[in-house]
Amino acid sequence: MLVRYLLAALAAGLFVGILMTPVHYLKLVPLIEHAEIYERGGHGSAPTHEHRASLVSSADAHGLSGHEAGRVVLVHGPAAAEGEEGGASPFESRALGTLTANLVTGAGFALILGAVALLAGHRITLRTGALWGLAGFAAISLAPALGLPPELPAMPVADLAMRQTWWITTVALTAAGLYCLVLKRQPVVRAGGALLLVVPHLFAAPHPADLSSPIPPTLAAEFAVASLATGALFWVLLGLSLGAAMDRFVGTEA
Amino acid sequence: MTTDTHRIAAATSGTRIATGLFALVLGAFFVWGAGFAHSAALHDTAHDVRHAFGFPCH
Repeated sequence: MLVRYLLAALAAGLFVGILMTPVHYLKLVPLIEHAEIYERGGHGSAPTHEHRASLVSSADAHGLSGHEAGRVVLVHGPAAAEGEEGGASPFESRALGTLTANLVTGAGFALILGAVALLAGHRITLRTGALWGLAGFAAISLAPALGLPPELPAMPVADLAMRQTWWITTVALTAAGLYCLVLKRQPVVRAGGALLLVVPHLFAAPHPADLSSPIPPTLAAEFAVASLATGALFWVLLGLSLGAAMDRFVGTEA
Repeated sequence: MTTDTHRIAAATSGTRIATGLFALVLGAFFVWGAGFAHSAALHDTAHDVRHAFGFPCH
């Protein structure tokens, strides 16, 4: 029964990981690639810099032409040779890497969501799946995004380890807060849960001193909204798939 | 009879918690690998997904 529980969670996560990959390519990867033009533009050699700057000078250039997109991928490769982290992926194509990462992330979050439900003694079903998914969205996408908005390459950022620490703390406190607020009955525990939701935002997320950025603000805003919308879709699909898989493969108990 | 039932209930609850913790650790390991590990190979493979999910990156 419990092995089937794990396999059902794994299957749901892999399924959503596959589903999300084309969505990423529709809404997010073009914006990331667009940002990488600016990223390269900052420290590229002079002639290519000028050339590229002219390519993206129009305000809404992120409908990248095939030619332009191809150029961006080429640009991403040599970046590794110049010491910038990049190009070390064992996968030939960027899309394959994204698919793999989506599969692993989907499976990971499905296992975590299934584990939380199991430990809390609740069943995720198709009827309640979307709500579980939205709780995951609130804890893992929305709450950390309030302090650290989804960022594009080349945006100014503070120290990575500090941001990761703030991110993980915020996610953990928000998840605990939601658990107390939604799944507990006692008023005191619920009040404590509400408090836990607020606490991480009283401590400022790490931000760099210098906010000047080569990325146009409109591009950054567009990416932040697209990232959150995609995240919401991911989590609702994950909750629904998890519920459907539990209904289908795991009996009424467990 | 009742003790048997109780013992079974306790055992299932024990396995339930063990399975839950196992799933939690495995899931966290996956997400850590895709979203947080500082390895260059993992970073480059998952680069776009890290940005997409809003994981702290670079």
